[in-house]
Amino acid sequence: MTSTLVSPPAVTAVGVDKVYGTGDAAVHALRGVDVAFAKGAFTAIMGPSGSGKSTLMHCLAGLDTVTAGRITLGDVEITALGDKRLTLLRRERIGFIFQAFNLLPTLTAEQNILLPLELAGRRPDRAWFEQVVDVLGLRDRLGHRPSELSGGQQQRVACARALVTRPEVIFADEPTGNLDSRAGAEVLGFLRTSVRELGQTVVMVTHDPVAASYADRVVFLRDGRIVDELAGPTPDTVLDRLKALGG
Amino acid sequence: MLKISLAGLRAHKVRMLLTGLAIMLGVGFIAGTFVLTDSMQAGIDEEFAGSAGKVDVAVLPSEGRRLPASTVQTVRSVPGVTEVHAMIRGDAALIGKDGKVYGDLPTVGLSVAQGRLQRYDIVSGRAPGAPDEVVLEERTAERNDYRVGSTVTVVDGEGARHAFTVTGLADFGIDDEVGFRGAVGFTPETAVRITGRPDPVEIDIAGSGDPRELREAVAAALGGDHEVLDGRALGDRLAARAGADTAMIRTGLLLFALVAMLVSALVIYNTFAILVAQRTREMALLRCVGATRRQIFLGVLAESALLGLVASLAGLGLGVALAGGLLALIGDGAGGIPGGDLTLTPPAVAAGLGVGVAVTVAAALPPARSATRVAPVAALRTEREPGSGRFRLGWPRRILAALLGAAGLASAGLGALALEEGQTAMFLVAGGGALVFLAVIAVMPALVRPLSRATGALPARLAGVPGRLAVSNACRAPRRTATTAVALTVGVGLMSLFAVVAAGGRATADAQLAEQFPVDFQLRGQYATGDRPPHPVPAAVVAELRERPEIGEVMELRIHRESAEGGRTEHIGAVTRSALGTMIRPTVEKGSLQDLTPGTVAVQADRARGRDVGDTVTIPTPRGRVELRVVALFSGNTPLPPYVVTEEDFARHFGPRDAEAVYLNAAPGVDPDRALETVERIIAPYPTLKVASTAGLKERFDEAIDTILAVVGGLLGLAVIIALFGIANTLGLSVVERTRESALLRALGVTRVQLRLMLSLEAVIMAVIGAVIGVGLGVVFGWAATESMAPSAVPAVPYAQIAGLVALAVVAGLAASVLPARRAARTSVVESLAYD
Ligand SMILES: Nc1ncnc2c1ncn2[C@@H]1O[C@H](COP(=O)(O)OP(=O)(O)OP(=O)(O)O)[C@@H](O)[C@H]1O
Ligand SMILES: [Mg+2]
Repeated sequence: MTSTLVSPPAVTAVGVDKVYGTGDAAVHALRGVDVAFAKGAFTAIMGPSGSGKSTLMHCLAGLDTVTAGRITLGDVEITALGDKRLTLLRRERIGFIFQAFNLLPTLTAEQNILLPLELAGRRPDRAWFEQVVDVLGLRDRLGHRPSELSGGQQQRVACARALVTRPEVIFADEPTGNLDSRAGAEVLGFLRTSVRELGQTVVMVTHDPVAASYADRVVFLRDGRIVDELAGPTPDTVLDRLKALGG
Repeated sequence: MLKISLAGLRAHKVRMLLTGLAIMLGVGFIAGTFVLTDSMQAGIDEEFAGSAGKVDVAVLPSEGRRLPASTVQTVRSVPGVTEVHAMIRGDAALIGKDGKVYGDLPTVGLSVAQGRLQRYDIVSGRAPGAPDEVVLEERTAERNDYRVGSTVTVVDGEGARHAFTVTGLADFGIDDEVGFRGAVGFTPETAVRITGRPDPVEIDIAGSGDPRELREAVAAALGGDHEVLDGRALGDRLAARAGADTAMIRTGLLLFALVAMLVSALVIYNTFAILVAQRTREMALLRCVGATRRQIFLGVLAESALLGLVASLAGLGLGVALAGGLLALIGDGAGGIPGGDLTLTPPAVAAGLGVGVAVTVAAALPPARSATRVAPVAALRTEREPGSGRFRLGWPRRILAALLGAAGLASAGLGALALEEGQTAMFLVAGGGALVFLAVIAVMPALVRPLSRATGALPARLAGVPGRLAVSNACRAPRRTATTAVALTVGVGLMSLFAVVAAGGRATADAQLAEQFPVDFQLRGQYATGDRPPHPVPAAVVAELRERPEIGEVMELRIHRESAEGGRTEHIGAVTRSALGTMIRPTVEKGSLQDLTPGTVAVQADRARGRDVGDTVTIPTPRGRVELRVVALFSGNTPLPPYVVTEEDFARHFGPRDAEAVYLNAAPGVDPDRALETVERIIAPYPTLKVASTAGLKERFDEAIDTILAVVGGLLGLAVIIALFGIANTLGLSVVERTRESALLRALGVTRVQLRLMLSLEAVIMAVIGAVIGVGLGVVFGWAATESMAPSAVPAVPYAQIAGLVALAVVAGLAASVLPARRAARTSVVESLAYD
């Protein structure tokens, strides 16, 4: 754990506030969040529903703007970037896995996986692509369209797409939320492998203590604040903490 | 259910707005046509009622008969008749500001009465009161810079010149002939002298006492030979005669309105089909909670009826505004269309609303039916994208398309190639075109994929990922894309059809001029009306022309008109011997023009009536009939009359006379412009002689064709605009449907610009598919139509115009995509990801 903190973190948030709406209708989704995510680590974000997990992730990934505070990805302060630069940054340095609707229905699995590279005009590293596809067991599904894939397969395609660009961070918002436990375990196992063996950085939002136990560290949110964290989680320790939070 | 329908309309405000706009434009066109023509008719009625109100009784010749001058005396002697105006009308060629007679046809010479029976509106000055006074029609005066007090010259039928003083400018009312040719008004006596027509075309009568009794008295005096009308009946009669034009304008415009409505129907159909598909879940939910199929069906129909009604009402408003604007633009030009008050008649309202609502509801019927097929369980299934998937061409559709296509092509082929050119052939081609169009509609969804691939190949290469995504998006709901594109096909297809036919007309004219009639200039007197010969070209002029070194070949054409049995007039003519076969080259079907010697005749092939070379024909001459041996049968588009004899024979049978027309070539190596100057100088003393260069004639012909094309193109433009709404609509609906997808793309690093580019390309692909199919059909059937029109027709493809149409489609597609693309690019990524 300590070793990961020696090198500079992949993503840092300092004093991040996020307010939706104004006046009486204002919702403080995030209140002064300070958090750093170490390089080559697998971090889970947990918390009760409405605690601001998705909001935090969207802000960290440059999908949404913050009301106050700073977010840095590597050496770039992304809270200072405009839409165009942010878009290019996402394309080149960030990977995404969402809970659902991860894939473009008109493209085959292979085309979906290669999409970010093509957008960036980069040539795919064929060996790396093959490796990712093999590890995820997608070899014989490459020519299929999303509608011809199971939910678990679709999520694995999304993982492959996130990995193939070798992004600095992969953000995943409840990637296993729609999967049964076996399919979920496959995806999580793969995410953990990519961190352990390939040095990938992963930040994952989840509700599920079992899913969180795949991570190296769990950060707990409540009412828009970081309230706790846990290193080397197991399902039981996570559950205990959540109970303690009253979630 | 009505509440749900209303909510449905509200929920899809923008979509409905665009769909409504399509209906509104179509209805606006229809209503505008009615309002315009009704207002024109009202103006006409009013004007004639006004001018005829001055007349107590009018005598008109009965159908096909003359009104002899002697009638006037009979009428005058009827007791109670106080004033009589025998209206004279004929040719009175006014000499214009260039010293030549004005116009292609002589100006109309009219008699203008004095006193109560003076029906015309004298705009300035006064009516002519003396034999040397005239009034000029306003625009005729304006175009020749004549005003009250000017001295003008009029040439009579014999070629004699008469000088007059202009005492006033007149508006002769709604009169096509006057509008086209211009007019000069004389005192009645002078009118007879100048026009050479003593028989009146109408006798207007004013009297003392009861007009009804007066009418009876006049009718009795005339013994039932002619039509005797009272003032009101005269007004009705005149208005009805002028109204025939209004009816024709109306029919013509309504045809274009029909095209616009057809395109609107396609757009409406598509919108409802997409909306129903998108609301599958909502409808299934309604079915789950107990809505019957019937209720769902009626719900969709009610939605469409409501939309149709609202949009049609707006269309009515638009129509009134359009017609008002047009009327204001036209103004009340002399002899033209009067600017009556805006008239909105109940039939106009009924037609606009009826057609608008009926078309909307009819177009929504198929989607409403498919809405009833939504199973309640669909609400529970996780939804796939509506209307997506590969399109499989079913056998019924294939067979239908094959039958339609085969029948259409056969019909068009028959009309274009096999059948004799003419109306039947043209109808066959038109019918064939309609059938093939239906076949294309049937197979269109299957064509979408290959066509999108082909169209998108270049953009996909140039624009990278957005380009490729655009292509696959265009293919993902083939029916939707197909209907959207077909809507554009209608307008573009008809436009290119007309362009091809026009190009064919032009090419045909050029080819004929070059092949059969290669002359530089033609010289002739102004045409006369009726069956009178034009003013001849004096022999002195021809002699002088032959002297001049700048002038090359000279060909004289003489024509004699002899009345033959059956009320027909036969034209017999002769041309300068040496020019036959060089300057004038008719197609010789049989025999040889070289054999034309005294005692023989060359006959136009379609007048031969079974007679062959070697047979004899009988020609009527003023000195009896003569028998001539046929040496050649000819055809083609030349000024040759049906019977051509030698100049010697012509002089013998019809006496020596001046040429009716003279055709000239510039001498070899001489600038045609210089030769033309010479000709103009030589004919300067003869005001009725006019010279025209073939190039100039061609230019005028081209201009006329261009004008027609522009008008037709403008009228069809509306259909194209409506189709654009269709593209914008389809794209907009797709954007809504793909909100999630767009957000995902944005998250993955697609920039706003790229997203917009993607949608624009999708629109362009749809537009180009529609346009290319339209152009294809237009070219093929335009060609077939040209072939079916005339035997010598030369089909031509106006490449530049066709390319222009496709380019226009590209621009139009881009324009249609602006709003949907902007909307797609604007939506926030985060919100869209959360969107459900
Ligand atoms: N677009 C928005 N406008 C207004 N309020 C919002 C918006 N998005 C989120 N919120 C509010 O911000 C707070 C945090 O929302 P967020 O989606 O981050 O929670 P979450 O932790 O991801 O919840 P869940 O576990 O249910 O996904 C909530 O109170 C939510 O209602
Ligand atoms: Mg969430």
